[in-house]
Amino acid sequence: MTTTELATRVMTVPEAARGRRRRGAAIGHERSLLRGIGLVLLWAFVVLNIAWMVWMVIQAFRDTRSILSDPWGLPTSLDPVNFVTAWTVGDFAIATANSVATTLVSSLLTVAIAAPAAYYLARVENRMTNSLTVYFVLGLGIPAQVIVIPLFVMLNEVYLTDSLVGLNLVYVGVSMPFTVFLLIAFFRSLPLELEEAAALDGLTAFGTFWRITLPLAKGGILTAFVLQVISHWNETLLALTLLQSTEKYTLPVALISFIQQQTYSGADWGGLFAGLCIVVIPMLVIYLWLGRRLTEGLTLGMGK
Amino acid sequence: MTQTEIRTPPRSPVAGPAAESVVRPGGNAVDRGRKRLFVPFVGPAFLLYTVLFVGPALYAVWISFNKWAGAGPMEFVGFGNYVRLFSDKLFIQSFLNTLLLLFVVGIAIFVIAFGLTLVLRDMAGKKIARSVIFFPHLVNAMIFGVLAGFIFNPAGLVNTMLGGLGVEDPPAWLSQDNLFPLIMVMMTWITTGYFTTILMAGVDRIPPYYYEDCALAGANAFQRLRYVILPLTWDVFGTCAVLWTISSVKIFEIVWVFGGSTGQGMPPTQTWTTAVYTYVTAFSGESVPAYGAATASAVLSLALVSVLVLLLRRVMKREAVEF
Repeated sequence: MTTTELATRVMTVPEAARGRRRRGAAIGHERSLLRGIGLVLLWAFVVLNIAWMVWMVIQAFRDTRSILSDPWGLPTSLDPVNFVTAWTVGDFAIATANSVATTLVSSLLTVAIAAPAAYYLARVENRMTNSLTVYFVLGLGIPAQVIVIPLFVMLNEVYLTDSLVGLNLVYVGVSMPFTVFLLIAFFRSLPLELEEAAALDGLTAFGTFWRITLPLAKGGILTAFVLQVISHWNETLLALTLLQSTEKYTLPVALISFIQQQTYSGADWGGLFAGLCIVVIPMLVIYLWLGRRLTEGLTLGMGK
Repeated sequence: MTQTEIRTPPRSPVAGPAAESVVRPGGNAVDRGRKRLFVPFVGPAFLLYTVLFVGPALYAVWISFNKWAGAGPMEFVGFGNYVRLFSDKLFIQSFLNTLLLLFVVGIAIFVIAFGLTLVLRDMAGKKIARSVIFFPHLVNAMIFGVLAGFIFNPAGLVNTMLGGLGVEDPPAWLSQDNLFPLIMVMMTWITTGYFTTILMAGVDRIPPYYYEDCALAGANAFQRLRYVILPLTWDVFGTCAVLWTISSVKIFEIVWVFGGSTGQGMPPTQTWTTAVYTYVTAFSGESVPAYGAATASAVLSLALVSVLVLLLRRVMKREAVEF
């Protein structure tokens, strides 16, 4: 199916038969009108998906008036004035700090707490662990808006609303289903032989987990961590509800408040685009760095 | 994602030796050692998840049976909130919008994603194309809501482009009635890549000799699709449908900011989804918060998810094709 496969195939077929073979073989490229249209549409879609980002970055370097007069224009200088405005006037500086701290802390805690649980549920099989697994996975189906009001009320009781500690706790709790589910699938895919050997050599059960399984599972745990980083970085509804004061805002909330200020003070498109860049570019960097791993993590067990 | 997938991850021959060699009660030394880890290993995750997720979900069901302004006493009203919701035009509108997103956008996504998968299957540069179209899934949907305001504003990208093509009188894209269709288009755009990737993972697993068989049997492209590709990716379709059902009901951010600064702090009611309805009813700060009605709306969307997921599992259930 791949091109290499095709290449080897073509090479083994005698010169004369090649043309016929290529047209006939179902694994070759078919040239039909429908497929041609599909290809054009697909590449148009790909271009669209790159264009919006390029365009967003370009506009972040222009001022509002020139953006409005010619949305297709290019910046005249690389002066990061919009970023400075967003950073200082739009409270994006503190929001970025909050977002970075919250994202890292909550993702680390999520993985640190979910990994042992997933390990246990993957390795010990009895009726209780099976129902616990179901219990964790059921959470995947509960939309965030169901828990947002009770969480607000409960956290208010213990003075954890408008607090990043509270938000971190909530993120850890809410991320349990997905992380546990992902890591169970991952631990199950690891070989058991090494652990048995370690146990025979006298390592305790905890030692086996800590010194044998964890190092083996580094890749999967990193994937789980980065997936949490992405989802916590982008999370909006819970942060919007639980945080009230500007100095606690995370980036999505700061962005919303920036947009709402503009309703009164007139639109600052340049600053807004700079804000969008601050939200999007870290995700792009992570994706360029770990892309394949993430796609696999997000489709693991789902393609099965 | 429900129980379906718990069973689906490949169970390596894990349980094998350890589980079969149970002779003494309580298992062998390794098993007993492991079982002692139960509380320290599963305890924290269980506790946090129960207190911060399952607890609030159950509490939400209880709140939805009460009339409550957030402070002061609760007044038990039974199904009163639910009855009230269905006589509230705003809620009906929000609920219909959620259904539109779920079904219309859902079907559009699947048709396009499946089409793209067929094109991508044996195309040059498929890795790059796949990676690029997946990326919007990692971006806060809010970004696309803000961008839409710019793309479609009166002097924005689309209108200048149409102007160049000679269209003198473009439609008022961002008028309140046109916003929701635009949201649907944007959602289709940003979600299609994700589902294409999942479907691709399914299609890639089909071993090439099936296609060779097709070629030998003289099957045309359509027959190959009908008798090989579809049956072998059926379960992946099921999973995707469940995933979309769950995520479509949560759609909030993109609606909240769609079109940039269009509203006075909240989006026009024509675009509301149940998630927006819940948020506004509880936290808008413009009227007395009605926590009961707000949670009732959220609980209804949970019910919608549960019913659809159960139905999907029943409909999509087929003899799994082993290959």
